[in-house]
Amino acid sequence: MNDAVTIRESAPGRQATQRRLDFFAIAVRFQSVIGLMLVAIGGIIFSPRRHGLILFLAPDNIANIVRAVSETGIIAVGMTFVIITAGIDLSVGALLSLSSVLTATMMVSAGWGLLATLLAVVATGAAFGAIQGIISTRFRLEPFIVTLAGLQVARGLALVISGNQYINISYGVGPGLAPPIFSVLGDRLFNNTVPVATLVFVVVAVIATFVLNFTRFGRYVFAVGGNERAARLSGVPVTLVKVAVYAITGLVSAIAGIVHAGQFNFGSANDGTGYELTAIAAVVIGGTSLFGGAGSMVGTVAGAIMLGALANVLQLNNINAALQLLATGAIIVLAAVLQSLVRRREGLAR
Amino acid sequence: MSFGIVTTPTAALWPTLRFSITALALASGAANAAPLVKECSKDGQFVVGFSQANNAEPYRQHVNDELVAAAKKVPQFTLQIADGAGNVNTQTSQMDNFITQKVDLILISPFEASPLTPVVGRAVKAGIPVIELDRKTVGNPGKDYTAFIGGDNFKIAEEAGKYVAGKLLPEGGEVAVLEGLPSSTPAVERLNGFKSGVKANDKIQLVAEQAADWLPDKAQTAFAAMLQAHPNIRAVYASNDMMAAGARLAAKGAGKEGQVKILGTDGLPGPAGGIRAVAEGEWAATFTYPTGAPEAIEMAKSILLDCAEKVPTVVTVPTTAITSDNAKQMMGH
Repeated sequence: MNDAVTIRESAPGRQATQRRLDFFAIAVRFQSVIGLMLVAIGGIIFSPRRHGLILFLAPDNIANIVRAVSETGIIAVGMTFVIITAGIDLSVGALLSLSSVLTATMMVSAGWGLLATLLAVVATGAAFGAIQGIISTRFRLEPFIVTLAGLQVARGLALVISGNQYINISYGVGPGLAPPIFSVLGDRLFNNTVPVATLVFVVVAVIATFVLNFTRFGRYVFAVGGNERAARLSGVPVTLVKVAVYAITGLVSAIAGIVHAGQFNFGSANDGTGYELTAIAAVVIGGTSLFGGAGSMVGTVAGAIMLGALANVLQLNNINAALQLLATGAIIVLAAVLQSLVRRREGLAR
Repeated sequence: MSFGIVTTPTAALWPTLRFSITALALASGAANAAPLVKECSKDGQFVVGFSQANNAEPYRQHVNDELVAAAKKVPQFTLQIADGAGNVNTQTSQMDNFITQKVDLILISPFEASPLTPVVGRAVKAGIPVIELDRKTVGNPGKDYTAFIGGDNFKIAEEAGKYVAGKLLPEGGEVAVLEGLPSSTPAVERLNGFKSGVKANDKIQLVAEQAADWLPDKAQTAFAAMLQAHPNIRAVYASNDMMAAGARLAAKGAGKEGQVKILGTDGLPGPAGGIRAVAEGEWAATFTYPTGAPEAIEMAKSILLDCAEKVPTVVTVPTTAITSDNAKQMMGH
């Protein structure tokens, strides 16, 4: 698997530490997978038990974990592309909220059909992201600033469209009712075991892994983040790639917003606050460098699930929220430190 | 212009709630002979300014709607609503604007207590009565501001606890609590109130409590874990309606819909609110958090129109329990 390709020239002195480095670098590359395993082991040890059954491993509980992380996971998958190009997208949580409001409004109040609504919401999300990408590249603005503004705009639009109310989604046939099939997003399939929201996450993650690792576009994304000038000189359409990655985060935020609306049966301008930070945390824990050029989709998925598993273990033991924040913070720092060590060993510390 | 007049006709969407008003009056000792406002009169025209903490919360929008509806019934009043947008600076400057404008009476729901205390003091000094709605600034009502009108979070949750202890689970059982944002006062008051209420029945065991920050998605995740760890949970108290909606989804996911009794708080009207959820049998009950809006306009009337010399300085508006007995009737309102 050529996950986490680093497109960089070898630095002098690299040869000498090659063997020692490899083991360490590989461990760090899959740090979130290892982290997930550690959390899982901790979960098994500290899990409450009933009749000898380890609750943490109960199929129901596993389903709860992967359902809980599906929305932020979908967003984190898109965020991975952006961060590999050394960018950032802060608008995703607000865009999720706007998308949930749009979904509810179009389907219920405006009476659009299911397909028309979904297409329109996804197109709006992608367009919103693309516009941020265009503004950022055209005016050479930091994506941090552009998407910070985008966050405000998306949240503002959501408030205006919803009129500060929750837009309820009721199911049935007729005006003002949503097609009942939409409520499947809140259900579980296969004998009530697999949450549909999780299936959406899996599909998005599989497609994204393929695109990142096995297409020319994926190679361009790594190239732009690794060395933008070199990429430009070797004919990579840098501007287009950058606009595309923001369109991708917009698109996945819209998908997450649709999943949110389907799970909770309403559109809300208040939801999704802080999702951008959870998503970025999952990406960083997953081993993607904020400096760009290196990253792993598998790592992101493992990072997202790890955060959910950690919260779950603490909740199963009825441990309060403050400790969950402390644990998450510590893990983010640890992940970042490990990456920094790898960069330093490679002589690439910036 | 930093303030705007709310003209959205959303008031029609909200069925007006009627609360049985039993004002708990704690009249202050200072009995002036003079009316609170000199220019009071039955046929004057008065501007009432409302400084709202943050319009972007559905509950606050509900307060605005009720205030607009109540003020409409008083032809002498013009209501101006300024949105503090969850920012103490914005809200302070809007309050200063009200003072400069010389509005006749100010209603305020301060976003935070101490940062807004000075500007409330300036308004009182300028001779403008200030009625605080739902949230207080620092100081004493009747002195540092005219009066406080609001619900009592502790008592509301205590009612919910008593309802569980007495009516819902008289034979006892395991109970869980979903708390709001842990750092916020209402979250703490509602948690403690509920705990105090269920003490009435010692067969009730509080087996789990988790913060879900008022949010439905966090509530769903937390309650799913609670049901895993404690499959015999018979009732869950959610400190607001949105978390109750999340808890229901978790119960549904665990195949326990209907077996676990769900209780909300706020009792908002509308299709996404708690009243509908109770009416349709999704939850066992929800407990209204009264807005105090009709009471505030009543008090403004007695100050500005009836030349009141004193008003009750603390008005606690009681909660209404919405259960299967009255939910459908309240929907119809």
